[in-house]
Amino acid sequence: MNVIEARGLTKYYGKSRGIVDVDLTVAQGEIFGFIGPNGAGKSTTIRLLLNFIFPTRGHAQVLGKDIVKHSPAIKAEVGYIPGEVDYYDDMTAGELFAYSDRYYKKDCRQRTRQLVEMFDLDTKKKFRELSLGNKKKVAIIQALQHQPQLLVLDEPTGGLDPLMQRRFFQLLREENKGGVTVFFSSHILSEVQRLCHRVAIIGEGSVLKVEDMSDLRRTHFRNVRASFAGDVPDLDLPGILSSQVDNNTLQVFFGGDINELVACLSAHNLTGLWVEEPSLEDVFMHYYEEEGEQ
Amino acid sequence: MNLLFRELKANSRSLLIWTLALAVLNFSLMALFPAFADGAEQMDEFMAMLPEEFARMFGLDRLNLAEPIGFYAIEAYFMVILFGGIFAAILGTTMLGKEEDEKTAEFLLAKPISRHYVVTGKVLATAIQLLVFNMVIGLVTLASFEIFAPDYSIGELLPLLVAPLVAQLALAALGLLLSVFITRRKSALSVGIGFVLGFYFLHAVAAISDKLEFLKFATPFWYMDAAGIVEHGGIELWKVAVLAGVAALSVGATYLLYKKKDIKI
Repeated sequence: MNVIEARGLTKYYGKSRGIVDVDLTVAQGEIFGFIGPNGAGKSTTIRLLLNFIFPTRGHAQVLGKDIVKHSPAIKAEVGYIPGEVDYYDDMTAGELFAYSDRYYKKDCRQRTRQLVEMFDLDTKKKFRELSLGNKKKVAIIQALQHQPQLLVLDEPTGGLDPLMQRRFFQLLREENKGGVTVFFSSHILSEVQRLCHRVAIIGEGSVLKVEDMSDLRRTHFRNVRASFAGDVPDLDLPGILSSQVDNNTLQVFFGGDINELVACLSAHNLTGLWVEEPSLEDVFMHYYEEEGEQ
Repeated sequence: MNLLFRELKANSRSLLIWTLALAVLNFSLMALFPAFADGAEQMDEFMAMLPEEFARMFGLDRLNLAEPIGFYAIEAYFMVILFGGIFAAILGTTMLGKEEDEKTAEFLLAKPISRHYVVTGKVLATAIQLLVFNMVIGLVTLASFEIFAPDYSIGELLPLLVAPLVAQLALAALGLLLSVFITRRKSALSVGIGFVLGFYFLHAVAAISDKLEFLKFATPFWYMDAAGIVEHGGIELWKVAVLAGVAALSVGATYLLYKKKDIKI
């Protein structure tokens, strides 16, 4: 069964674009990455799926139920971590969990205690007194306390320190092993690469590409910068997707076999060589240009 | 129910402050009554000197300051209905929008509840608070009559204690409808205060000017005007029906609009 199925999902805010004709299929048991720069439409898509906003056209199902007609039933089985975490100022974290718990039919107290222990959170403090990282922990716990079938995470790692981030990812993997589907939006490629099975790349409101993580890894995009003692030579390799020359320095966005490139470069007199993982923006630009050419 | 209890708890402090303030005000004003009654003759002379329009605005032409009910209707009633109206309107205008202003809508609407459930919880919370507000003020006022002006008729006083609730429910319902659109707390407060003062101003203008008298139909304060109630010997049912109708329409429209609303976060 598909946990998320969107067809032609479109949202305009007045005249300004949210997302246009988004098709998405997320299978049960997947960790699905949803990646794109800020303003690409990630949050809009999530807010549509949770019916905070209404689609201009198109439709979608979550857990086999229509997102508009059966929203409450969907939410009983969905845990959501918002990008910006804000709760009631006058409540302590513990009160918030109890309040949240009462909205679900099942008893979440035991699971809540486990999660609080796991993330080492002081539940007696008022929400407004918590640091950003601790606020994020509150969001994680309230999203997981009712043991949902689907987790919808909107850039969930912001504010978490590396240790907590690791614990969080570990928790997501455990939940996933137990059958929970994870929909993970992010603008950081490396965290999506660490966690996800499949990834959709979204830009300017449209899904540009859906790829298996293993395929994306195989393509091995690299940013390569080489400086030469003399003039920059003309390189002609199939893996060079774009290049730029600056004085004696060559900058290449490379998507082929790195050995070929190194072999080719070694024939010249180099003064420096840098090979880096590209930023999401670079990868995104590549897909975006490719899309434009087609 | 969960949401209702949460709302009542979150608002309890402001409810307490408003209730205490107006109850104490009513009590202190009634404490002045014995002194007023003693100097009734001088008061009558003084009143006769007031401009006619002014007297009409406060119902002095139809009410007697030397009697407990007349005194209450002139001195205290307008405070309860005006300040109580502001309290009610603010309750309404902040009710739905505050979840968006405080960015808690994303939490609340991610729970397995419908938009209808949200509106119902908020409507009930508003109504219950206004009920408690008026009951406490009513009881304190009754006590103050017993102490300072025991020579009154309960049949005449009761309508004056119930009428503000009717007006407040209508004002709160209008506020609730506005709160679908007002998602900033600051603007919700100024809109709430503003439209109640606007209605009160209309009420005053309609009372003073013969040409603008028809404006009285557009303000809840006229429907629940103290002089009218005392004169008629009770609240006229059709006036209650008009305000109840306004409240029902506002709440109905709130349900429809909130159900289709894009939540801004």
